[in-house]
Amino acid sequence: MPSYFRGSLLSALIAVTIFATAQEPVKPKLNPRIITATRQVTIFSNLEIQLLEAVRKKDKAGLQAMLTDDFAIDMPNADRLPGDDWLDSVMAKDYILKNFGVRQMSVADLGNAAVVKFDRPQEATHKGIADSGDFFVVDLWKKDGDTWKLANRYVSKVSSVVPKGPSKPTGKE
Amino acid sequence: MKTLGKMKYALAFLFVLLAANFLVAQKVREGSAPDGMKNVPNGDGSAAAVAAGPTGQAVVTGNGINYNGGPVLKGTVPIYIIWYGNWNGTGSNTAATRTIIETLIGGLSNSGYEKINSTYGDATGNVSGAMTLVKEVFDSGSQGTRLRNSRISSAISAQLTSGNLPTDASGVYLFLTSSDVKESGFCTQFCGFHTRQTLNGADIKWAFIGNVDQCPSGCEAQTTGPNSTAGSGGGADGMANVIAHETEEAISDPDLNAWFDSSGQENADKCNFRFGTTSTAANGSHFNQTLGGLNFLLQMNWENSRGGGCDQTLGGTFQ
Repeated sequence: MPSYFRGSLLSALIAVTIFATAQEPVKPKLNPRIITATRQVTIFSNLEIQLLEAVRKKDKAGLQAMLTDDFAIDMPNADRLPGDDWLDSVMAKDYILKNFGVRQMSVADLGNAAVVKFDRPQEATHKGIADSGDFFVVDLWKKDGDTWKLANRYVSKVSSVVPKGPSKPTGKE
Repeated sequence: MKTLGKMKYALAFLFVLLAANFLVAQKVREGSAPDGMKNVPNGDGSAAAVAAGPTGQAVVTGNGINYNGGPVLKGTVPIYIIWYGNWNGTGSNTAATRTIIETLIGGLSNSGYEKINSTYGDATGNVSGAMTLVKEVFDSGSQGTRLRNSRISSAISAQLTSGNLPTDASGVYLFLTSSDVKESGFCTQFCGFHTRQTLNGADIKWAFIGNVDQCPSGCEAQTTGPNSTAGSGGGADGMANVIAHETEEAISDPDLNAWFDSSGQENADKCNFRFGTTSTAANGSHFNQTLGGLNFLLQMNWENSRGGGCDQTLGGTFQ
């Protein structure tokens, strides 16, 4: 291979790699403002925290009670994960959820159903390997009598880096 | 062999470049604040950089909410209202709503309810619990009916630069929109918000509150409020509740660097949509405050004393 060609190829490879890794999706700036959450955001924030606490504490019965019978999880580039399989995986001893957050929630109230979108930073390990990061979650909750049950979840990992932010409240800050 | 050696150097160079690129990208993701700035919560778990406030002053803490070094608004706080959109319409977009809100602001001043805010202070003193409605203006829709932060600040800025409203860094500007005006996130994420911006050369504190008749289930405690008249909806009463929330926070945490807890919640956030004991009005609705001769259902506020808690009046029972 001629050396000038090798040089050009290498330069092009470097340029393309730098360009590809430096790209961030164009998104609106986060304005520094403090919101008054809607009633639904308050309700579903509490439910999502309750659900994550059940995972953290390995409370299978408590977690199961919050899910519909046909609960399933969808992820990009993967087959649908049935609810039972997910339960088994998060209840396994080698899955440890250390910390989590629920952020930037919005709720579309559809009467007997609600579409809940939020950002979920978490610190976790699976079989001793870090499973931490920032996840974008879309949940479909359905009304079941007086309670809400999680029917379907779409989850996608945004980043393997856990973003900094306010920690969980203790009630006595 | 010579070529292979060059390739090794090139690959090593590429690795260093990629590593540097990766590190820079991570720094952006972490949202680190520039020198002289600090990250503050946005109230939704995210954070943004603002100017750091003074630190190390003696203030009352240990009541479930933290002092983060910034100033509070002291003395009688001037309130300015911008009625945006069509406030000569139907339902709750009427003069009746304007009167109810004016009565609310006047009634809040020095009330036992507003005095809860006097438990918050900074190095030079505490919030007084007094406020006064200085001036109201109308904007029938200079920025259209689909708003976002930048359009709201443009509308407020126009009022300041034109001299319609004074440029007052010690005041709070309430931007109240009629029910035909949409704001991204209103009703799905929030019922209102407060912030600060440099406008017309001054540190302006402003709050957005939409007409909550757009989403009674999301932002109204009850669809018929104590001041609702037939066919008007509960918009005025619902807005009154959010206005009380936002003014409490804009006064105790005006630059977003004074009073909030470790989860980013300000005083009123800690009692959001919690009303405590209520009485029943003649129209069957509930209320817990009587201000300026009108009944209101206002959420409780977090008192920064006695260990901290939500109550309806300074020194009242935590509920």
